[in-house]
Amino acid sequence: MSHSAVPAATCPFTGASTPTETAAAAGEAAAAAATTFDAGIEAPVADWVTIPDLHENPFPIYQRMREESPVHWVPAVNRYMVTSYAACHEIEQDEARFSANEHNSLMKRSMGHSMLRKDNPEHQVDRDAYGSTLRPGTIKKHWNAIFEANNEKYLSELLAKGPGADFVWDYAAPYTGENLRLIMGFHNATQQDMQRWSQTLIDGTGNYADDPEVWAKAKASSDEVDAAIDEMLPHLAKNPDQSLLSGLASMPIPLEAIRANLKMTIGGGLNEPRDVLATTVWALLNNPEQLAAVKADPKLHAVAFEESVRWVAPIGMYPRETTTDLVLGGVRLPKGARLGVVLGAANRDPEVFEDPETFNIFRPKKPHLGFGGGVHFCAGTWIARAQVAQIAMPSVFEKLPNLRLDPSAETVDAGWVFRGMTKMPVLWG
Amino acid sequence: MPTITFTQPTGEATEVTVEEGTSLMRAAVTNGIEGIVGECGGQAMCATCHVFVRPEFAGQLPEVSDDEDEMLDCTTAERTDSSRLGCQIKMSGELGNIVVDVPSDQV
Repeated sequence: MSHSAVPAATCPFTGASTPTETAAAAGEAAAAAATTFDAGIEAPVADWVTIPDLHENPFPIYQRMREESPVHWVPAVNRYMVTSYAACHEIEQDEARFSANEHNSLMKRSMGHSMLRKDNPEHQVDRDAYGSTLRPGTIKKHWNAIFEANNEKYLSELLAKGPGADFVWDYAAPYTGENLRLIMGFHNATQQDMQRWSQTLIDGTGNYADDPEVWAKAKASSDEVDAAIDEMLPHLAKNPDQSLLSGLASMPIPLEAIRANLKMTIGGGLNEPRDVLATTVWALLNNPEQLAAVKADPKLHAVAFEESVRWVAPIGMYPRETTTDLVLGGVRLPKGARLGVVLGAANRDPEVFEDPETFNIFRPKKPHLGFGGGVHFCAGTWIARAQVAQIAMPSVFEKLPNLRLDPSAETVDAGWVFRGMTKMPVLWG
Repeated sequence: MPTITFTQPTGEATEVTVEEGTSLMRAAVTNGIEGIVGECGGQAMCATCHVFVRPEFAGQLPEVSDDEDEMLDCTTAERTDSSRLGCQIKMSGELGNIVVDVPSDQV
């Protein structure tokens, strides 16, 4: 049976020290599923939504959309956008009616057919092939020490660069890039390669404008990744380590799936922890009383991290496709409808979160949807929590106690499908 | 069919009847039991379906696997000897009328 009691501090990731209210947000799926197709209304058309406006600041747009209807047809995005917590949650928990295996997927074109665009049972085969590399036990035994060394190195480089250095590009990006390089086992690449691969493959995934130059860059990175994998697999088969590539070298997974899954992981494992790290630090610097509380109680780093993922989900939207005629949030959706599950909007739904537009680490804790849910729940969740909340954040505030935004320079947050800080010059002296 | 009784920290108890083979987490989520989230859909990845199994039923449960063990170290409410993940408990006839306590904190 159960092990004997373990010390409370064994898991470094949970920072629960504030009162918690568990949400009763689940459970309305059954009622909606039973609704007949004819009972739904036609989706309202949000023709006023534009991609440049979403990119600059999607949150007022989401607010207006949620107030009107949980589901809209959005011509600019050429899909239905789902913005309420309840409807996004319903989708996540029901892969039979909401398939991840989207037709004409830009992600498949950019990265190949990864597990993120497969349904079960196919998805689970690929996911299981990742083994224990990304799980808390391996993180504790193996990755944390590596993350600490990388943090030391890249924080020193930020300091060496001097005041006015950019928190994102001179620290968060190389730090998370180097961590991911080692997690994945690309011993024949650099963190700069990882950053280039990640950005260009993601740009392909979001290439709704069908820009040939974007496709060319994504293809070049895709070819580079394939070559790097081909070189590493035989080496790691003989010299195994804790990395994903090493585990895959001994698994009966087709090369095509390995390539696609690793490209998806490059896209999902670098920009997102980079963005959460910068967004969380930015939010704390803008809220000195919350920052003071975090400095006084190290457990609050984890709370601030989760609140940041809720407040600005680094992956703000992902696609699904309906497998049948259905009604979602009272709106009729035909079979084959292309949906955008807008986590960035769901996480600010006032039906679930009080004063949702505000970053507040003291809010009653409720489950956010920032890591997705159901079978596609983010496989890198614990890696992100470890490298950002457990290692980077405490070290940043300890080594740079006077860290502040550079008032003479511009700070920019941008994006909607992916959102984070694009410019964040800082001072610390 | 087996039944599960979920007891909340307030003392309020809810009994649900489930098909054999259903996980305790799925039973809770489907029936809207407060305090069981089940974020990851049942793959022992999120630690949000933590329950305390009453001792009289503990012996009828399968051993804690390595995956469940490391995840139980990451629960929000502190782990105890009776801690299990609901997604790893498959309901069967032998389990009869299991009673579990829902922790006060799940996220």
